[in-house]
Amino acid sequence: MNLFSASPQAGPHAPASPTPPVRKKMAAFPGTTLSEERFFLVLAVFIGVFAGLAVVCFRLSIEWTSIALLGPSPEPHTLRVLLAPALVGLLIAVLVIHVFPQVRGSGVNQTKAALYIFNGYIPIRTAIGKFITAALAIGSGHSLGPEDPSLQIGASLAWALGRRMNFSREKVRLLAPVGAAAGLAAAFNAPISAVLFVIEEVIGRWSVGILGSVVLSAISSVVVVRWFLGAQPLFRIPPLTVVRPAELVAYAVLGIVGGLAAVIFAKAIGFLRPRLRALPPSTLYVQPAIAGLIIGLIGYLGAPQIMGAGYQFMDQAMHDQFAWQMLAILAGLKILATTLSFVTGTPGGMFAPTLFIGAMLGGAVGGVERHFYPHLTGTTGTYALVGMGVLFAGFLRAPMTSVFMVLEVSGDYSIIVPVILANAFAYVISRSLQPIPIFDLLTRQDGLELPSLEEQREETILRVEDAMRPPPIPVLNAADPIQQANQQIEHASGNVFLVRLSPAGWNSVTRETIKRFASEGKLEMSLGSLLPPQRLPYLHPDHPLEMALRYVYETPLVPVLSRANFLKLEGVVSSQDVMAKYRVRPSENGAETM
Amino acid sequence: MVIAWLTFLAVMGFAAVTRLTNRFGEQRKALARHLYEQGVGEQQAGKPEMAIEHFRAALSYSHDNFQYQLSLARALRDTGRTGEAEAYLVSLWEGSPQDGAVNLALGRLYAREKLLDKTIQFYHNAIYGVWPSDPDQNRLNAWFELVDVLLRLNALPQAQAELITLSASLPHRAELELRVADLFSRAQDFPNALLGYQRVLQSDRGNPQALAGAGEAAFKLARYRTASHYLSAAVAANPQDAQSARTLQICNAVLNEDPFGRGISTSERIRRIRAIFEEAGQRLDACPSLPPQSPTGAIQSGVVPLESRWKDMKTRLAHLGQRGESGLADEVMDLVLQIEEQTANCATTPQDQALLLLAQNRAGVEQ
Repeated sequence: MNLFSASPQAGPHAPASPTPPVRKKMAAFPGTTLSEERFFLVLAVFIGVFAGLAVVCFRLSIEWTSIALLGPSPEPHTLRVLLAPALVGLLIAVLVIHVFPQVRGSGVNQTKAALYIFNGYIPIRTAIGKFITAALAIGSGHSLGPEDPSLQIGASLAWALGRRMNFSREKVRLLAPVGAAAGLAAAFNAPISAVLFVIEEVIGRWSVGILGSVVLSAISSVVVVRWFLGAQPLFRIPPLTVVRPAELVAYAVLGIVGGLAAVIFAKAIGFLRPRLRALPPSTLYVQPAIAGLIIGLIGYLGAPQIMGAGYQFMDQAMHDQFAWQMLAILAGLKILATTLSFVTGTPGGMFAPTLFIGAMLGGAVGGVERHFYPHLTGTTGTYALVGMGVLFAGFLRAPMTSVFMVLEVSGDYSIIVPVILANAFAYVISRSLQPIPIFDLLTRQDGLELPSLEEQREETILRVEDAMRPPPIPVLNAADPIQQANQQIEHASGNVFLVRLSPAGWNSVTRETIKRFASEGKLEMSLGSLLPPQRLPYLHPDHPLEMALRYVYETPLVPVLSRANFLKLEGVVSSQDVMAKYRVRPSENGAETM
Repeated sequence: MVIAWLTFLAVMGFAAVTRLTNRFGEQRKALARHLYEQGVGEQQAGKPEMAIEHFRAALSYSHDNFQYQLSLARALRDTGRTGEAEAYLVSLWEGSPQDGAVNLALGRLYAREKLLDKTIQFYHNAIYGVWPSDPDQNRLNAWFELVDVLLRLNALPQAQAELITLSASLPHRAELELRVADLFSRAQDFPNALLGYQRVLQSDRGNPQALAGAGEAAFKLARYRTASHYLSAAVAANPQDAQSARTLQICNAVLNEDPFGRGISTSERIRRIRAIFEEAGQRLDACPSLPPQSPTGAIQSGVVPLESRWKDMKTRLAHLGQRGESGLADEVMDLVLQIEEQTANCATTPQDQALLLLAQNRAGVEQ
């Protein structure tokens, strides 16, 4: 499924045109002197600016709420740490049930649903509700992050800005991902990761038109955020150690552990969420409060680090502030706290908790490994950083984003090999133990069936070479006289024959046509001079089979040509061949069955 | 028109958010200042862990504050969290690589980690860096501290090189020259130490610390008579100076018992050798020597024990001074040296140490 297709392609497989295509002159967009395409790019910059402003306000709100509710420096054994999340949980429940019913959850799925179901429409009320409730939740210590809500706020703002602009449907749909990229980039202060995530997880397709607007919005939002909040990165990255090749084993182990942790985390959410939602509706009022009470209790008893987004504690973990035992405990508690916060419908994101768990787990695994193998040179910071990517790849299942996120956050290319290795392990383990990615799982629990981009990625694509068959013999030449052509087809099977045109191109002719030309006494005339002046469309073996569908009904045989030599015929494909291939399904063991 | 409207909205949004961030920024700064002051108070009260927490909280509200970062980095460094301290300091250094305080903090950090090259590099940066107040004194302090660090790291050649440069650029103040002379002495550059002390004594003849230092330096240079001169003056100036008194005793013992000294008669030389030999024998009785060992530490078989050799030498000692026995004095002193070295753990008296010095320094001590 692709919502962002451009007009039907006229590539080399289309009949060759004798004149070059005339570039269509773009009409000016209403109210501007720009074409729609260019105006959309300009609008993307404005979307970025407004999303950036919104995210600045959102972050200030979270901080202000946190200071007001938990104090400037939350400490264990204080009553406000114990009670604030629970009391705010009650308030949030009331707001979510009565005022902002669309703000439950992280915001990524809602944005995706808006894109695929509602033409990108996310009501501005949802953005306002998300802003207020997520700020309250995160500020009061619920274990959630600000990134996913920022993504949804950005998408909603984009819709609000673009809805009255009379864009084409394609552009209107694009508004939400453009805004989402801006919101996420502003929240993360990392434009590349945001662009990749939106393209990898929300849109699922690369094209210049999409990429340009998404990149522009992401960059402009980051510029705005840096203007107001400074250019410092989320973490102070300690000096990273470039590992020896043998040490990659240690990172592979981290990938395995991280993959397993990601599966536990995802399964816990997948298991608890529908069960809590199945409880009587009256319990929805108290569910966030109970989650808040448990989180408050954890903070009260000595681990306030797990409250809120926890970026400063990730920073501390990277700088050897905690023993590995403490890091492991924090990772476990954070999984528990985030699961509780999320499954009770408290608005807030999962990006920050995922990074938190990854950092703590990475530091813990690194600590254990260095305990047993003291010669390992990787610092806790290195392992924590790699751990972030590992959880990102394993839990959110965004492998490309996970790699670039670590690179962007660390600004150090030397760490790329351990990151790729560990992320690959985590991704593979997570995929094999939890086949449905978390966002798809949540969508299905909500009763929606949105396209799963991971499933699409992994889907086996049928290609022309799977359906093509050898060309019918003989292959005729346009210069052949009818008499010769008639003799050539005399003993051949089949009814349709390909004709090689000079100097290039292909046509087809039926047995009946040649017989008719012969009976009309045109024996000396060349075949090419008698055939209508047309060229057959052609395909290459690697083209998707669906591309063949465009041509097989126009002509009985479509030639399949070598990419290296257009005169070399690799095979032919007909409508029967294509249909026969689509009727055959690959079985479990790879054998094809009817 | 649409773009104009969007621009207008953006400008309004910027104005509103600027106002909001400014107001919030003021609150954050006040909060950060309050937390920082709490941290300073806790640091002064000897609670570095609490101080770190408050510095950290202060920084979370004022990310770029140089003073907070520096204080946190110093506190982290002083509590042994060098990795995190380094991250803060390197980030500060990247922002202002010329800052003396940051370079000094980094130098101290690397000194703590015993990274010699980096230590010297960042101390030098501090010495030639920018100091907002009292730059001369701060640079001088950094330089002295560098030498002290190098001595602690046992980097004597580097310390000596720093001291030579430092002494050449010092203002002529007795206390500074005395400090440098002390450092020369610690760096085992005794000729320069002696010169330094002598320069101090030129302006302050009776300075007991300079007298003692000059005496010790001369003693280390085996210039016992010079040492005796300064040490006598030092002890006279400060009778409580036990170290100088003891060194003076050794000096006097060396001077009085030296059998190779010029201007003494043959009979006196023989007497002194005999006396030294007897003292070595008494030492051997008091502290039985270890079995003879090879340089690798293995016990050597077939080597005659020192006690037997001493007894054998005692019978030969009657021939000391006779014609044809010119090498006997050296043999005696060789044996004394071996005995003193083997029984060094018992050599506690000034007399013992004088014997060792005499046996080691056969060419004769300073006259």
